[in-house]
Amino acid sequence: MPVAPSPVEVDLPAHGDSTSPDHPWIVLVWNDPINLMSYVTFVFQKLFGYSIEKATELMLDVHHKGRAVVSSGAREKAEIDVFRLHEAGLWATMQQDI
Amino acid sequence: MARRNKPRPPVERVGDQFVINLGTDERELVSRLLGELRDLLLGATDQPLLRRMFPPAYHLADDADADAEYQRLMHDDLVASRLAAISGVLAVLGNADATRRVDEEGLIALMQALNALRLVLGTLLDVSEEDHPDDIDDDDPLVGEYHLYGYLSYLLDEAVDALTG
Repeated sequence: MPVAPSPVEVDLPAHGDSTSPDHPWIVLVWNDPINLMSYVTFVFQKLFGYSIEKATELMLDVHHKGRAVVSSGAREKAEIDVFRLHEAGLWATMQQDI
Repeated sequence: MARRNKPRPPVERVGDQFVINLGTDERELVSRLLGELRDLLLGATDQPLLRRMFPPAYHLADDADADAEYQRLMHDDLVASRLAAISGVLAVLGNADATRRVDEEGLIALMQALNALRLVLGTLLDVSEEDHPDDIDDDDPLVGEYHLYGYLSYLLDEAVDALTG
């Protein structure tokens, strides 16, 4: 079997340069033992305009899988979403979807 | 014939408004707790009890700088938002007028304030998903806080019900 050539090593740019505007940011909500399921579902409906079905599905994902992606988009929008989730008391974070 | 008095729910929708049906004792209790929360929010920012109220925004280690920037820019806004919600709720609860009504925005402020209290108490009690209110021993030094936590959870759940039910 032919030996695959060694991958070429490239110097990855520093983080600040690697955030490509082409990649959206995702907002995650993490499971926590304090927030009520009913309240989390309500917050998803209120902040994102999701139907009760969609909001419940996301809430259950958070509950069972430990986290769920609740929104995505440009970095500024993601930050606003995270802020509003923090206002409501949810445990939300964001990362670039690469 | 006896009339059975059904207890009124603590939060009741009336048209597009919501009536807060809490007795004097309950209103004083919630107001006192909210006053304590306000003092806590006006104090040092790095108190462990406030941890859950100000989570990181960027959780990846690579994004630590971005998170420091987010905290620098947004922390005060988050505090201001909480203080505004608390003030609004205190004004409603302290209203001598027997009809304590709020619109949807006022009810959401109440929910935000109640949940902020739950975050602090839940952090203090280090609650887990397995915890059940009945599990607490009467001689536990934090039994009072457990009962408060349960009561606030009940109120918040009722508020969600009134708004979405």
